[in-house]
Amino acid sequence: MNRNDLVVTVLVILQLLSTNYLWGLDAASSVSQARFAIFLAIDLLSFAMIAYIYRKVGWREQTYRIWLLLGSFGLVLLLVSSLIFT
Amino acid sequence: MRKEDEIVARLVAWFDSRLGLSHPMLRPVPEYAVNPFYWLGALTVVAFVIQGVTGMLMMLYYVPSPIQAFQSTQYIFQQVYYGRFLESVHLYTAYAMIMLAFMHMMRGYFVSVHKKPREMMWVVGMVMGFVTLGFGFTGYLLPWTVVSKSATDVGIGMIDALPAQISSLISFLIVGAGGDATELLRFYDLHVVVLPAVLLVLLTLKMYMLECHGISEPVAGVVGQEKRRLIPIFPDVSLYLLELAAVFGSAMLLISVIFPLNLPPQYSPQLAAQFTPQPDWYFLWIYQILKISIFEGAGLPVALSLVTLLFILLFLLPFIDRSEKRRLSDRPIFVTLGVIFVAELIVLAYWGLITPGQIIPFEQAALVIGGTALIIALVSFGAYWVLFSRIKRQTSSRPQAPTKLATLFSFGALATGGAFAIGNTMNTTVNIIVQGLDWWKALLLTSSIIMLAFVILASALLIYRIELPNGSLSRRIRFLEKMIHESK
Repeated sequence: MNRNDLVVTVLVILQLLSTNYLWGLDAASSVSQARFAIFLAIDLLSFAMIAYIYRKVGWREQTYRIWLLLGSFGLVLLLVSSLIFT
Repeated sequence: MRKEDEIVARLVAWFDSRLGLSHPMLRPVPEYAVNPFYWLGALTVVAFVIQGVTGMLMMLYYVPSPIQAFQSTQYIFQQVYYGRFLESVHLYTAYAMIMLAFMHMMRGYFVSVHKKPREMMWVVGMVMGFVTLGFGFTGYLLPWTVVSKSATDVGIGMIDALPAQISSLISFLIVGAGGDATELLRFYDLHVVVLPAVLLVLLTLKMYMLECHGISEPVAGVVGQEKRRLIPIFPDVSLYLLELAAVFGSAMLLISVIFPLNLPPQYSPQLAAQFTPQPDWYFLWIYQILKISIFEGAGLPVALSLVTLLFILLFLLPFIDRSEKRRLSDRPIFVTLGVIFVAELIVLAYWGLITPGQIIPFEQAALVIGGTALIIALVSFGAYWVLFSRIKRQTSSRPQAPTKLATLFSFGALATGGAFAIGNTMNTTVNIIVQGLDWWKALLLTSSIIMLAFVILASALLIYRIELPNGSLSRRIRFLEKMIHESK
């Protein structure tokens, strides 16, 4: 398993967990609204990273580590936000 | 081929064979265009789609009548599942749509996409920009809060300052026969039916023209063959757009969490009387211009005419800036004017934000507006001068010309004179309209216009002159662009 495969696997697992969590939220609660937004954002950002890797592999180009690091930083930021804003 | 890749390839092939995706109407895109700056317009469309989806969900609950508008909005906030989240995302995506449309326009201005053969794309894009602002104006009223209703009433009140025929037509179109109920219903219809339909028609037209002309060439550097490689719309460019859209969407979601929307109190005439109306941020610059003392009362039509003139100039830009030169180095005047335009918008909007309801003395306004223009002009001149002189020093063995300080002072004097001439022309024009024409005012206006023309001509001559000692300005910038390109 190369680096790209590893990153995609982690992201897919994160998406699955996040989507599962979204379905379990109590939609009537006001706290859930912020959680819903944050975990939807996590899903979207993970999707963007997976699409980036898939596109670069398709073009037979190297994925830039800086974009993957920035994406990971974004995901960590969102996870931390879920603790602060909910 | 690995098993996973084979599955993905088979999945793509299945969709391709059923939907004909590899035979799209859209032409392939050169690789140099795989850059977010080329897709600001596409991101504006993404924002429009999000607006459509969130707006349609809110339409299920919203009632466009003065009695129920606020209650139904409050119901969405408090009772509907994820209602507050929907409202917040709708608002912040609307802001993003306006900002992206503006960035798209200014990028187009600086990289000269408005030039032959894309003149009509620019004009259609400007109309789309107006429609986007129309969305903001009409949508602002719908919650029927004291903030939204008061600000919209001020905006509608300005229509009365226009000539009678025009004002009655516009009033009929946006307010109807009169009264709160008709006004709200008309705004709602415009917001959810008319403007989206117009925008979709214009978008189709623009996409058609984009297909005819293709994506414009980059202005900087020499584009290598590898960057000219054509990339198909499906799946590569589509995937890239999805990446951008996903990042944009997650940013909107995060912003809506960090700054959740709070609903201001319901509109009532009593509450509105205690409230200083202020438009949303994208109209603040116009609001600030209208608050300048000379435009109060009878001067209002002049202010509106000036703003209209500015929009007309923007519309007609491709027919004014007709030179085929596209490089920044070849367009110092238009580049400087563009930077001044952006800086003035920011300054006026911020100033409007911190001085709600406050009348601005004309002298103060002339100082701030003229001063901003002067500073930007000097900085722009300095940037062109220093940057290209340095490059020249590194590349030429010829001695430097010794007259730089004098040139700098000359340019500063011209810019000061220009700011004074603009201020005086505006002041005299307003005085003539308000107090009538007499010999003294006619003389003053003529001398101001002559002075302005002199400043423009002398500045152009000066810019031309400063190129002489160290060679052509355009050659120096081309050299810089080539250096940057090679360093990449």
